[in-house]
Amino acid sequence: MLTIANITKTFNPGTPNEVRALRDVSLRLEAGSFLLIIGTNGSGKSTLLNAVAGTFLPDLGTLTLAGQNITRWAEHRRAKLIGRVFQNPFSGTAPNMSIAENLAMAARRGQPRGLGWALNHKLKAELRDRIRSLNMGLENRIDNAIGSLSGGQRQALTLLMASWLKPELLLLDEHTAALDPKSADQVIRLTHDIIQRDKLTTLMVTHSMQQAVHLGDRIVMMHRGQVLHDLQGAERARVRPEDLLKRFDDVRRREQLDSTVAEMLQRNYV
Amino acid sequence: MTLLIGATTIGLILALLAMGVYLSFRIFNFPDITADGSITLGAAVTAILISNHVDPGLATLAGFAGGVLAGMTTGLLHTKFKINGLLSGILVMTALYSVNLHVMGKSNVPLLNETTLATQAENLGMKWLHVAADSDLNVFGWTVGLRDAATLVAMLLLVGFLGMLLYLFFRTNLGTAMRATGDNPQMIRALGVSVDFIIILGLALSNGLIALSGSLLAQYQGFADVQMGIGMVVWGLASVIIGEALVGSSRIGLLITGAVIGSVLFRLLVAIALRWGLNPNDLKLITAGFVFVALVAPAFLRKLKPAATAKPSEA
Ligand SMILES: Nc1ncnc2c1ncn2[C@@H]1O[C@H](COP(=O)(O)OP(=O)(O)OP(=O)(O)O)[C@@H](O)[C@H]1O
Ligand SMILES: [Mg+2]
Repeated sequence: MLTIANITKTFNPGTPNEVRALRDVSLRLEAGSFLLIIGTNGSGKSTLLNAVAGTFLPDLGTLTLAGQNITRWAEHRRAKLIGRVFQNPFSGTAPNMSIAENLAMAARRGQPRGLGWALNHKLKAELRDRIRSLNMGLENRIDNAIGSLSGGQRQALTLLMASWLKPELLLLDEHTAALDPKSADQVIRLTHDIIQRDKLTTLMVTHSMQQAVHLGDRIVMMHRGQVLHDLQGAERARVRPEDLLKRFDDVRRREQLDSTVAEMLQRNYV
Repeated sequence: MTLLIGATTIGLILALLAMGVYLSFRIFNFPDITADGSITLGAAVTAILISNHVDPGLATLAGFAGGVLAGMTTGLLHTKFKINGLLSGILVMTALYSVNLHVMGKSNVPLLNETTLATQAENLGMKWLHVAADSDLNVFGWTVGLRDAATLVAMLLLVGFLGMLLYLFFRTNLGTAMRATGDNPQMIRALGVSVDFIIILGLALSNGLIALSGSLLAQYQGFADVQMGIGMVVWGLASVIIGEALVGSSRIGLLITGAVIGSVLFRLLVAIALRWGLNPNDLKLITAGFVFVALVAPAFLRKLKPAATAKPSEA
């Protein structure tokens, strides 16, 4: 279970580049639930995931995961509990190392690393099995450098790596955004299967309304560093992609209104 | 012949420097300049201990340990104090110049009549071959001094052993994490590894190897000098680059072997060039020039190629 309580983050405070990326965000995620996060560009979706992963420490607020207060934990320490797939297919794997080596490192996520062999026959056999389940024909190429694979293949492997040791929390940040439609579909199906099978607690960011509606059991819409809508239960079950798009339009209209009002005020009073 | 054997031996000793440079520059992508100071530190520590009649094996280990500490310092400056990597190395290297002078107490410590690993190797050779000290051996028709032959064989064994050890290390859990840290720090952090810790550890290992190289060099040439480290990073880098060109592969085992061969080859080339009348003062200039060309040439060639094959529509 993940509890995000009153998380606030301001980048470059006190400078002209000040960005209030997260404003008092609170969310509670039950164990096994699958939350989709949508929102306009710059609304703070990635920042929220980064705050949970520990890329930076929040200015205010607390994070609790699996009963532990992780607010002050360094990123690598949180990795014991958290599996992660990034938007950029290049981010999740070490390109000059082999598929087998990459997976072997993931098989020790969050565990001490000593002078034991990284790879052995037993582990290789196991990872060949798991790679075979991707149905990408990669099981015969496990000694090839991962950098030689396509983005879709790399994302599928990164997903396998992130979920190898069942994480307490899986973070997916637009992990299909950089893929062609066919690969994206493939990776989405895989995402669905893995999360279902292992009942993983998941936070997933997406710009695809299709994905938002067809995956997961809850949808959160963010705007300007805050949670604007939180669709759960019956409301979530009823929602269609058009409804979500309409909410985006509402936001946009309000935004325009805001800016014209601001302009008018400026014209008249400043 | 003696000239070639001497050059090969020094090449092997400096192969440890090349391995250290390979570790920092290539595995980590970390331009670690500490090497210039840590190679001298290894030599200084070993020389002063040996001239105080400490067992040479122990004195060599102490030299290695000195390098480990120097590397850790650079790593700490970079990771904990967020100082640019190049600058961290420069700071430690500069500080080491004074440290080395303090360790030695003067700018040069001779080791002429001391027991060193080199004389020990010679003694071993005497015992095994049942010959007297300072005798010449006949190897395949060439006359070779016993001491030269013994040190060459000893270095060959030692460098082979350490190269093997390094290769095996890179296949352990810790070693793969270290390679991944250089390859993609974001990824390895997301898998629970402290990148800071690995960088400190890697620089410690790298500078340990480099100091060991200095320690052996001092024992072989019979002195430690506070100036001996100047330009050594570039020297190591040149060896690594030659090695890469020779093996033409990205496999770790081959690259380590390449670095060793590159170091020996480079040393031999230098010995021959000096024999032909190259001014020793020009050596560092030429080495730097060589590394410059090696760094620029691949990009330059890449730029030439597409231009030659470009389609008219793109022109
Ligand atoms: N490290 C950083 N330093 C400064 N500003 C940042 C940083 N990270 C994010 N921001 C800013 O915070 C705001 C929120 O960014 P974030 O990346 O979370 O948006 P997002 O919702 O993920 O958008 P997108 O849909 O484009 O990915 C943006 O204005 C962004 O410029
Ligand atoms: Mg984002």
